[in-house]
Amino acid sequence: MKTWTIDQSAQAPPSRQLVEAILDRIANGSLQPGDQLPSVRGLAAEVRVNHNTVARAYRELEALGVLRGENGRGSFLTPSSTQVARRERSAATLIQFRTALHEALRAGHPIEVLESELRQSAKESA
Amino acid sequence: MNPLVTVRGLSKHYGRQHVLESIDLELHADQICVLLGSNGVGKSTLLRSLIGLEDVKADTLEVLGLDPRRKPDALRRLVGWVPDHSDVPAWMTPAECARFQEHCYDGWDSSRLAQLFDRLDVPTRRAFAKLSRGEAAKAMLALALASRPKLLILDEPLARLDPRTKAEVLACLLAEVPIDGGACLLATHNLDVAVRAADRVLVLANGRVESAVDVSNIDSTQTTPCGLRARLERLYDSNTLEPVR
Repeated sequence: MKTWTIDQSAQAPPSRQLVEAILDRIANGSLQPGDQLPSVRGLAAEVRVNHNTVARAYRELEALGVLRGENGRGSFLTPSSTQVARRERSAATLIQFRTALHEALRAGHPIEVLESELRQSAKESA
Repeated sequence: MNPLVTVRGLSKHYGRQHVLESIDLELHADQICVLLGSNGVGKSTLLRSLIGLEDVKADTLEVLGLDPRRKPDALRRLVGWVPDHSDVPAWMTPAECARFQEHCYDGWDSSRLAQLFDRLDVPTRRAFAKLSRGEAAKAMLALALASRPKLLILDEPLARLDPRTKAEVLACLLAEVPIDGGACLLATHNLDVAVRAADRVLVLANGRVESAVDVSNIDSTQTTPCGLRARLERLYDSNTLEPVR
């Protein structure tokens, strides 16, 4: 599995960054329902943050219905995790996209340029 | 739950020089507490006083239910301790040191130590004098964790390490730190370590705990690592630097 990282210069707290990174990997299919996430301490060591930061991220994912902690065995993705992750991430990313779009239009980018950018990036991520 | 460490009104004087002045400190279970302060501000003296290595005055001084001034030996069997300067004889190897320390701690776990040495790539059969700074730091951390201590006290465990070794030692510390009812007190002047590792930060300056920051609480109200770093830097600077006149 790809390694996890935290961006110390990002405008989001570490626990939020972890939630988003995990939702992203569920939404794009690299994490599947039933998959096990690293232990709290294991992930804390990997991204080098306090264990309570990871525990907070896992609690948030549990509250969203994405993750289920099984006593003593670890934390596993729920059957509905893909659905929930796509819903969460599509809502959040749409807001970011709109903000960026407004800024680009205000900065004077012609619509045609933005449109071709959009098609180009759709082609690249397909 | 009772705190693992309770300090009230702790003072230390060398002659007429006040090193520590009415320090209050509480350390709770499942917490990593970072003691932030410049060199020479008394961090080591404070840590050493918690395990009975300093003669101090205090209204209350209780560590794991014991008074380090009265029961230093019983207390040291329970606490994992990494001093800022290695107190291991230079000719000793990490493996020899382990055989010696095995009898000094309750709960010593040789197989855990073997795992830690292995994970951290410690050359166990080479004398401390011949280890690199990074290897010695890793060996000291592994030895301190081997007894599965309820309380881990570390004095500048990452000082003067290169970035890669620093990351490796910090990762090991974060993976193995005594949680589940235990706690860790870590002294450093490194803000990044504080930002990453701490549940709580105490800024020590002028012989006092000048500020306390509860990181767990501010993280949940959307504080970024940069924001926290800036906040700690302000507290640190305002307490340690002379104002420009």
